[in-house]
Amino acid sequence: MSSEDSNPAATPTPGVDTQGDGRWMSLHNHFVSNSKDKEPDVLFVGDSLVQLLYQFEVWQDLFSPLHALNFGVGGDATQHVLWRLSNGELGHISPKVVVLWVGTNNHGHTAEQICGGIMAIVQLIKDKLPKAYTLVLGVLPRGKMPNPLRERNAQVNKLVQEAVSSLPHASLLNVDPGFVHSDGSISHQDLYDYLHLTPQGYQAVCQPLHAHLKGLLEKQAEN
Amino acid sequence: MSGDEINPAAVAQAVEDVQGDDRWMSQHTRFVQECKDAEPEVLFIGDSMVQLMQQYEIWRELFSPLHALNFGIGGDTTCNVLWRLQNGELDNIRPKVTVVWVGTNNHEHSAEQVAGGILAIAQLLTSRLPKTKVVVLGLLARGDGPNPLREKNAAVNGFLRSWLPRLGQAQFLDVGAGFVHSDGTISTRDMFDFLHLTAAGYRAIAKPLSDLLLQILDETPEEKRASLV
Repeated sequence: MSSEDSNPAATPTPGVDTQGDGRWMSLHNHFVSNSKDKEPDVLFVGDSLVQLLYQFEVWQDLFSPLHALNFGVGGDATQHVLWRLSNGELGHISPKVVVLWVGTNNHGHTAEQICGGIMAIVQLIKDKLPKAYTLVLGVLPRGKMPNPLRERNAQVNKLVQEAVSSLPHASLLNVDPGFVHSDGSISHQDLYDYLHLTPQGYQAVCQPLHAHLKGLLEKQAEN
Repeated sequence: MSGDEINPAAVAQAVEDVQGDDRWMSQHTRFVQECKDAEPEVLFIGDSMVQLMQQYEIWRELFSPLHALNFGIGGDTTCNVLWRLQNGELDNIRPKVTVVWVGTNNHEHSAEQVAGGILAIAQLLTSRLPKTKVVVLGLLARGDGPNPLREKNAAVNGFLRSWLPRLGQAQFLDVGAGFVHSDGTISTRDMFDFLHLTAAGYRAIAKPLSDLLLQILDETPEEKRASLV
């Protein structure tokens, strides 16, 4: 990527209120003011897969005890997360670990562009929180049967894995427990609309994530 | 509704696959298949407000015991629900009650058109399932503070309140009370993104709804399977 201007996925862009109730900006403002009196050790940021996680018991069970904050916004692509983090959502907090899960909503972008967007976020976090570790979660497969978005998402993960391999402050964690069955199908018991996780799907994703996070936090404490 | 103009919110329309993974059609196909296997007493149909409810504990507590099916699809408008109902999602089932919750995503349409689209869904249901009772849920307020969509949704509800009773088997249920605080705000404790309900938000609306459903189911005599044609 030559400059961030040539990659729309890496150009900070606020959400546009097309519907008429300003919810995207309301949520952003809510996150900014919400962070003023909190001291999270972990920050989750990303799209609806992050946002919905907060609604289920798995959050209370696994992540509240780690003092985690949730800044997920449904529909967000990399450029939206980049804008939010550049405009106040990291202003008042110093989490030890940032969990970043975004990329599946970057419609119209290539895998290379999406990777560029994710890496721009990783760099921004490093600039604003020099001591924080960024854990990028792999983008999950989607759709009931094989389709171009699955290939795109897998390619994003491959490219990000390569890009973070040389970085001491970031890594990619594949959280797909094997949602795609041998016949290529994904079950609605795991992804109720073949995109969003059911509570059961979240359990399968979050157990290993939680274990990995705890390990990271322990290592951060030693440093 | 005036004149002979067609109401665009009452025109059946499938969702086009623009993203590339055909998820809308996959969900519709799954629902049609569920109609072949299930004998629901209650059918829920609508948008993400319906769909998300099934992911929370409250569904298993209050609605699974009523033998309820959930045919919600996120993003759906009245046009999409009409298409689904006309293309297999009512085949082979005879629910005693159908709960309809849709309209908040009809961004291209006026309040009157949206209400007309919901009415068309109720009319389709009562003509396809003559013995079913239809419960139409009012559209909830949305957004952090006062905004045009709240006014629009309230206007839709106003039209439905007066039109639905004319369809003998349909009734309107307003479950929105209490979400808007005295300062005009909605809390993320009730709607995590000022639109979709949290577990607590669903708990608040599920009680009056399940009370009504139990009442209707109690009043409806059992049909013998043999008498169904």
